[in-house]
Amino acid sequence: MEDKFGGVSRRGFIKGGAAAAALAGLAGCGKNNAGGASSGGSPSEAGSGKGGVLKYYINDPVAIDPYNTQETEGTQVAKCLFDSLVKYNYTTKELEPAAAESWESNDDATTWTFHIRKDCKFHNGDTVKAGDFKRGFERICDPSMKTPSDVAYHLDPVKGAKEMQAGKASEISGITCPDDNTLVIELATPMSEWPLVCAHQALVPVPQAALDDPDSFLVAPIGNGPFQMDGTWVSGQYINVKKFDGYYGTPAKLDAVNFSIQKDPDTAFKEFQAGNIDFCSVPAGRLAEVEQQYGTSDDGYTVTPKKQVLTGAQAATYWIICEMADETLGKKEVRQALSLAINRQNICDTLFEGSRKPATSCFPPLIDDSPESTWEYCDYNPDKAKEILEAAGYAADADGKRNLTVKLSYNSGGGHEDIMSIIQGDFEAIGVTVEQNSQEWAAYLTALDDGGFQLARMGWIADYPNMDNFLYPNFYSTSSNNYGKYANPEFDKLVEDARKITDEDERKAEYRKACKLLGDDMPVIPIMFYAHDHVGSEKIQSLYFDPAGIAHLGEASIQA
Amino acid sequence: MGKYIIKRVLQFIPVFLGVTLILFSLENIVPGDPIRLIAGDKKLDPVTENNLRASFHLIETNDDGTIKYDESGNTIETPMWERYVLYVGGLLHGDLGVSYQKSGQTVSGILADKYPYTVRLAIVAIILEAVLGIGAGIVSALKRYSFWDIFVTFLSALFVSMPAFWLGMLLQLFFGVFLKDATGTAFYLPISGAGGPYAEFQDWVYYILPAFTLAAISMAYTARIMRSQLLEVMNQDYIRTAKAKGLSRRDVVIHHALKNALIPVVTYIGMDFGGLLAGAILTETVFNWPGVGYETYRAITQRDWPLVLGSVTVIVVVVMVINLIVDVSYAFLDPRIRFGAPKNER
Repeated sequence: MEDKFGGVSRRGFIKGGAAAAALAGLAGCGKNNAGGASSGGSPSEAGSGKGGVLKYYINDPVAIDPYNTQETEGTQVAKCLFDSLVKYNYTTKELEPAAAESWESNDDATTWTFHIRKDCKFHNGDTVKAGDFKRGFERICDPSMKTPSDVAYHLDPVKGAKEMQAGKASEISGITCPDDNTLVIELATPMSEWPLVCAHQALVPVPQAALDDPDSFLVAPIGNGPFQMDGTWVSGQYINVKKFDGYYGTPAKLDAVNFSIQKDPDTAFKEFQAGNIDFCSVPAGRLAEVEQQYGTSDDGYTVTPKKQVLTGAQAATYWIICEMADETLGKKEVRQALSLAINRQNICDTLFEGSRKPATSCFPPLIDDSPESTWEYCDYNPDKAKEILEAAGYAADADGKRNLTVKLSYNSGGGHEDIMSIIQGDFEAIGVTVEQNSQEWAAYLTALDDGGFQLARMGWIADYPNMDNFLYPNFYSTSSNNYGKYANPEFDKLVEDARKITDEDERKAEYRKACKLLGDDMPVIPIMFYAHDHVGSEKIQSLYFDPAGIAHLGEASIQA
Repeated sequence: MGKYIIKRVLQFIPVFLGVTLILFSLENIVPGDPIRLIAGDKKLDPVTENNLRASFHLIETNDDGTIKYDESGNTIETPMWERYVLYVGGLLHGDLGVSYQKSGQTVSGILADKYPYTVRLAIVAIILEAVLGIGAGIVSALKRYSFWDIFVTFLSALFVSMPAFWLGMLLQLFFGVFLKDATGTAFYLPISGAGGPYAEFQDWVYYILPAFTLAAISMAYTARIMRSQLLEVMNQDYIRTAKAKGLSRRDVVIHHALKNALIPVVTYIGMDFGGLLAGAILTETVFNWPGVGYETYRAITQRDWPLVLGSVTVIVVVVMVINLIVDVSYAFLDPRIRFGAPKNER
C-alpha cells in the first residue's frame, strides 16, 4: 500500500511537472510580442510603421459619435478622430486655428464668420465643407435621433437651435453657408467668447455618411482628425485608431492608438504596472509612492521618460452646494460661517497627498488667478466662524454646542465619505451638529433635483475654460444646473452684461465683479481644486495631457 | 412527441410574461431616475430631457413624433402597461429597444456583439467540464478509496463550496501575480479581458482562467454524479455477467458500464450548458470578459433598463429552449422514456 501510494505520488509529481512545463510552453506560444510597435496579430497595416502604438486606458465611453461626446472617455476618442473649427491652447490661453483658418465677428458679437480650410479632408476622402459643420451641429439638436444628444446646450446661444431641438424647425436657421468654405453662425444674444465654445469636441463636422448609415457611424465614426478608426468600437474591450495620412495639419507621430477599455482604474493600473498599458490614472492614496517610482513631470501636464507622473491642476472645483430655499442655509451668515470652519488644507494633505489644492474661490487658478476673485470666506478661521454664528443668534451653550443642525448629503463611494467626515469634524468644532446623508449616485442625482437638501456635494468641470462657464450654468437664476436655486438679479445682470463686452479686459473685470458678489453670498462652499493623478510609461517620449483631462495624442510620441 | 413539444412551447408564454413583467415593475421601484443618470452631474435642460424621455417612450408623443402636453403644458407620463405592451409588441418584431446609456445603440445590436463571447466561453467551459469531470469521476469510481479517489472527492467538495468569483480571484492571484513573480515573468496567464489586436497574449490564452472558473462547480458535480452512477452500474447483474464471460476490465467498463452510467451525466451537462449560455455574471465580471453576463451587470449598475430587460429576455428564452432540447433528448438517450403517452401505458 505504502509503495503504491508512494509510486503514484511520485509518478503524479513527475506528470504534474510535465504538465506545468507543457502549459508554460503553450502560454509561451500564446504570447504576442510584448510591447513594440508591431504587436503580433495587429489588425491591419497599422503598427507596421516606426511611430509605435500607444496603449491608452479609458472606461467604456457613452458615445464616440461626436453628436453626443461629453465625458472624458468619449471626448478623448473623438479628439483623435475629429477636429473642430478652432482649438484652445492652455499654455498661451489663446485660441488657435484648426479646421477654420480664420474667423471674425460683427461689432456686437452676434454674427460669427468662420473660414474653413480648403485642404481639410474626411477619412473617407471627402473634402470638409461648411455644410458638414452645419450637418454636425444639426445632428446635436435633432430630436429625431435614435437617442437625442444631451449636449445640445452648447448650441443654445445659436439662433434657431432651440426651435430645432423643440421639433419646431428642421434646421438651425442661424447657421448658413454662403459658400463651401464659409460658415456663418448667428447668435440669439451677443457672446464675445463664442469661438471658445466652438472648440468643444462635440461641435465638429460630420460627412454625409453619418446620415446614410447612422448605426455604423455610432461605432466607427468618420472624421477629419489626425487619426481614423481601425475597425469598430468593441464595447468593453478596445477602440483602435490609426494615423490618417490625409490629415491637413502636422501628421501624427504615432502609428496608432489602442484605447484599452478596462473595468476600473485599479485594474488599469495593474495592467500599467504589467506593461500592457502606457497611460492611466493612479489609484487613490498611492500617488506619493508612484511619484517616487516613476518621477514627477516638470510642468504637471507632460509625460517624458523618468518624469512620468502628472499632477497638474485641472479647471475643476469640488464644492458643497447650499440649498437657498432652506430656512437655515438660506441665511448668508450660516453659509459664511460654515465655509470659514473648514480646514481645506488638511483635507488636501491628508486625503490627496497635497496634489489637490484648497479652494480659494469658485474659479480654479487656470480660469482666473486674479486676487480679486479670491473669496474671503474660503479662509480657515474657526474663531471668526463662531463670531458670525453668535451674531446671527446661534449662541453656544456651556459645552460649546449651538442650536444648529445641518444635513450633509453626498453620493457614496468615490472617497467622498472621508472628505465629508473631515468636514463634519470641522463643523462640530464650531458647535454645529451634522447629520450625514449618503446615497448611491443615481438616487443622489434624483434627490438633488427634487431639492429639499441642505448641503450637497458636487463638482464642476469646465466645458470651456472661461469664467462664464463657471458662473452662468451654476448660478444664473434660470440655469438648469443651479441646484441650490440661487437667484440674485444683480448677479444675473452682471453676467448678462459681461457676455456682451467684446473687450477682453473689460469683460473679465465684469465677470470678476459677479464672482465677488458670489463670494459674499456663498451659494456654494468651495472645498478644493481638482488635480491630475495620472502616470505614463517610460516608453512615452512625450505626451501632453491638458488641464481638461484630454491627451493630445496627435502630437504624442512613443519609443517604437 | 409533437404534442409534448407544443405544450412545452406554450408554457413559455406565461413564464416569459411573468419575468418581463417583474423586471418592468422593478424599473419603477428602484430609486434613481435613469434619464437623470444619462447626464451625470450636469443637469439637463427641460427640452433636452423631454426629447430623451420621448425617445424612450417614457412620455407620450403625438403621431408625428412631437411631444404631447396636457392643458397646463406638462408632459404626460406613459402608463406602465402601455410601455409594457409597446415593449412586447416591439419584441415580436425583434426590437428590444435602445440602450439608455450607450447613445443610440440598439439593445439587439449590443447583445449581438456580446453573445459570441459568452457562447465561445460556454463551449470551452463545457468541454473542460465534460472531459475533466467525467474523467475524474471514472478514475475515482474505478479506484475507489485510492489516493486519487480521495483527491477528486476533496477537490470536488472544495469547488462546489467555493463561490465562483472567489475561485476566479484566487486563480487570478496565483496565475497572474504569484506565478509571474515566482518565475520572473517567464510564465503567467492573462487575468482580464478577451485579447484583441494589441493584447499581450494571443486570444485563446484569455479563455483559460475564466473557462476553468466557469466550469469548476459543474465539473465537481459532474465528477460526483459520474462516480456514483458508475459505482451503481458496476454492481448490476449484467456487469457481473460480462465479467463472468471473461471480458477484460477495460471492455466491461467502456462497453457496458459507461454507456449506462453516462445518461444522467449527459443530462446534467446539457442543462448546465443552458445555464452557461445565460452568461455567468460573476465570472465574466471578475475576468472583465465582454460577454452578456458582464454587460448585464454593467447595465444594472447604470440603470440601463432596456439593456437589462433585453438581456434577461434573451437569457430566459435561451434557457427555456435548451431545457426543452434536453428534455426531448431524454427520449433519444433512454428508450424507456416516452412523452405524451397516457400514464397507464408507461
